[in-house]
Amino acid sequence: MNDMRPVTTAVRVDVRNLSFFYGRTQALNNISLPLYDRKVTAFIGPSGCGKSTLLRVMNRIYELYPNQRAEGEVLVDGENILGPKQDLNLLRSKVGMVFQKPTPFPMTIFDNIAFGINLYEKLPRSELSDRVEHALKRAALWDEVKEKLRESGLSLSGGQQQRLCIARTVATMPEVILLDEPASALDPISTAKIEELIDELSNDYTIAIVTHNMQQASRVSDYTAFMFLGELVEFGETEKVFTAPANKRTEEYITGRFG
Amino acid sequence: MVDLALSEQLAGTERITAVRRFGRSDARFRNLTYAAALLVFLIFVGIITSLAAGAWPALKTFGPAFFIRLEWNPVTDQYGALGPIYGTVVTSALAMLVAVPVGIGIAIFLTEICPRSLRRPIGIAIELLAGIPSIIYGIWGLFVFVPFFQRHIEPAIIDLFADVPVLRDLFAGPPYGIGVFAAAMILSIMILPFITAVTRDVFETVPSVLKESAYALGSTTWEVMTHVVLPFSRAGVVGGAMLALGRALGETMAVTFVIGNAHNIQESLLAPGTSISAAIANEFTEAVGTLYTSSLIAIGLTLFVVTFLVLASAQLMLRRLEQRAGGVSA
Amino acid sequence: MKNMGRYRGRRIRNRFFLSLSVLAAGFGLVWLALILGDLVWEGAAAFKPTLFTMSTPAPGFDGGLANAIFGSVLMSALAVLVGTPIGILAGTYLAEYGRHSRTAAVIRFVNDILLSAPSILIGLFIYELFVVTMGHFSGLAGAAALAVLVVPVVTRTTENMLLLVPNTLREAAAALGTPRSFVIRAVTWRAARAGIITGILLAVARISGETAPLLFTALNNQFWSTDVMQPIANLPVVIFQFAMSPYELWHELAWAGALLVTAAVLLLSILARVYEGKRGLR
Repeated sequence: MNDMRPVTTAVRVDVRNLSFFYGRTQALNNISLPLYDRKVTAFIGPSGCGKSTLLRVMNRIYELYPNQRAEGEVLVDGENILGPKQDLNLLRSKVGMVFQKPTPFPMTIFDNIAFGINLYEKLPRSELSDRVEHALKRAALWDEVKEKLRESGLSLSGGQQQRLCIARTVATMPEVILLDEPASALDPISTAKIEELIDELSNDYTIAIVTHNMQQASRVSDYTAFMFLGELVEFGETEKVFTAPANKRTEEYITGRFG
Repeated sequence: MVDLALSEQLAGTERITAVRRFGRSDARFRNLTYAAALLVFLIFVGIITSLAAGAWPALKTFGPAFFIRLEWNPVTDQYGALGPIYGTVVTSALAMLVAVPVGIGIAIFLTEICPRSLRRPIGIAIELLAGIPSIIYGIWGLFVFVPFFQRHIEPAIIDLFADVPVLRDLFAGPPYGIGVFAAAMILSIMILPFITAVTRDVFETVPSVLKESAYALGSTTWEVMTHVVLPFSRAGVVGGAMLALGRALGETMAVTFVIGNAHNIQESLLAPGTSISAAIANEFTEAVGTLYTSSLIAIGLTLFVVTFLVLASAQLMLRRLEQRAGGVSA
Repeated sequence: MKNMGRYRGRRIRNRFFLSLSVLAAGFGLVWLALILGDLVWEGAAAFKPTLFTMSTPAPGFDGGLANAIFGSVLMSALAVLVGTPIGILAGTYLAEYGRHSRTAAVIRFVNDILLSAPSILIGLFIYELFVVTMGHFSGLAGAAALAVLVVPVVTRTTENMLLLVPNTLREAAAALGTPRSFVIRAVTWRAARAGIITGILLAVARISGETAPLLFTALNNQFWSTDVMQPIANLPVVIFQFAMSPYELWHELAWAGALLVTAAVLLLSILARVYEGKRGLR
């Protein structure tokens, strides 16, 4: 199925000259890079390099807190989402996000998924059930939870909770999915499942993933961005970045000499 | 299976209308919570304004002298606040004098000495007792404590201090039972669980590494308490004590039953007296005439100002402790 | 040797002061035990089924507390009905919208003052606001006074509980494109539900024994009355008036009422603790 599609290099998200400030501290300095349509882009770098911050700009989730500010442009489908006219809820419904720690809502498994759908669509009950089932299947969780949709989302294991959160994001049908170290709190088996899932989702979604795990980055991504101290050091096809890095610092980092 | 591409487009148009709806209900909800918060502020302003307005006739008639006049005579319509103020201050001070050391003692006992298995049940019992309404302390004081006090303790105190110069006058007979001293004792028993509960909570904010390192130097339990725990938690303990003082100053029912409601100041603590809240509780519904009512409201205003100052400084201290506790854990 | 002597001194001092604290604990706990013991003893002696069926009697007659119990429950219910939504919304503003604002800091401060302000002054405030303007005492005024006591308790606990909800949950909800007010109502309120219920229960416990603010708002009523526009009987004021009276039968009723009030308050506090314990276990 993958091969049937023409190879696209359309840019879905275009970050241009982006800088970011926490109060007076600058966390990102003049970042420019594209996210290609239906490709996985991995962000690597030592902690504090700004990779999570960059992700948090793309859906403007940082706006929940005072004194945080972004300068520059982030174009999603050609529109600058940092502009004052951008509706945040609309933006976030198009650019979904999954966090480091699983964040199931304190409600049933079914309601966790239905929550996001009901925000934007009024669906008859049966259709809603279909959509929930579809989302859970996409997140490879359906077989594990189909008997207990009425149980609390908090009753699931950590790995299941994380897949629930991915299902919840998928259910709202975003265009871009941001994954902020989605597997860092999980055991190896759950991690493998999440990675499979990312691979599978990249058929339909543009994905950005932050990870501190270099193997993971090389396994799941098509493109890799290496960041250091708020700067973008290197960006390119994953294979190239990992086998023949152009920058010395990138090489040192991916070979484990620092960070 | 749902056709993804098609649904995505459909959702696109629906999204715009949904977002418009969100904007309106978001603003409405925010304003609603803001209005509720503002109402809290308005209640506060309302209390001050209504008390000030009600107190105005009395304050205008008697001037600043109102606060230092002792006379309280509904027949001649002459009123002064000194008696109730004196009763409020003395009962609260005495109550604090007893309850603060005992409360801290119990808190030390609970955090350091008590066997672990008993800590929780005793702690919970103390917290539950802190929630018991003051009228219970009042009725117990009137029916149980006062008769016992009058028969057994007061005569003994009067005898004991009969030959001691100053105390002889402070504890002069006859043993009425009711009076300033009895009210102070009931008050101290009432605020005791509160002080204990707050102090214990504050003690528990002391990081255990700090205590452990002091023990590791060979300190005794008492030394750890005085050199580590108390200095660390001083602001909290003082803040908690101020909160308790705020309660004691304004407490009505525990005092009204047993203070005797006499508008005078006697040297003997065993004599009947009154307090601001007791005077209001006893006389307000029966007060006739603008000046009488207004005088009662005026002493209420006095009480409000005093408790405000006490509670405000308690807040500041507790908040400082909170910030520091946050800083330590960070 | 000198060192050992100094150590012995320290140990003796330690023993001495620790014994004092044990003594303090014993002293304090004995009083509290005595109060509860007497209360149960006297209250149980005066306890009879007619407490719940007969109204407060005239001096020298047999009677019960039915009208007072009803009045207390009615006014408390009204107070909670009015005070709880205001408290929850105000606490929500402080925790969600105004977390860093100056307005919220002022309101938070004022709320904490109201939390421990003398309740008799709340009574005076409502007297001026309701009784003076209506021209007479009423159950409505009593309920209003109690509501003023409910609001700060619920506001404070709601704020505290909402602050305990991790920000990651708010972020996760917002990341789905959920508007702020939906995030609060559907997610953070739900996550803090047990804590907020605890706060409401504590508020009910707080008002069920409050006497001072009712003295000149609801006043009292010897007869069965359900009219909130008129003075209405209530347990605390009945306890106060009956205890201060010279009549033995009234004293008994006062004790029985005191036991009822204490039992209700303790029950509510324990229920609140059970709910608090449930927090985070779901």
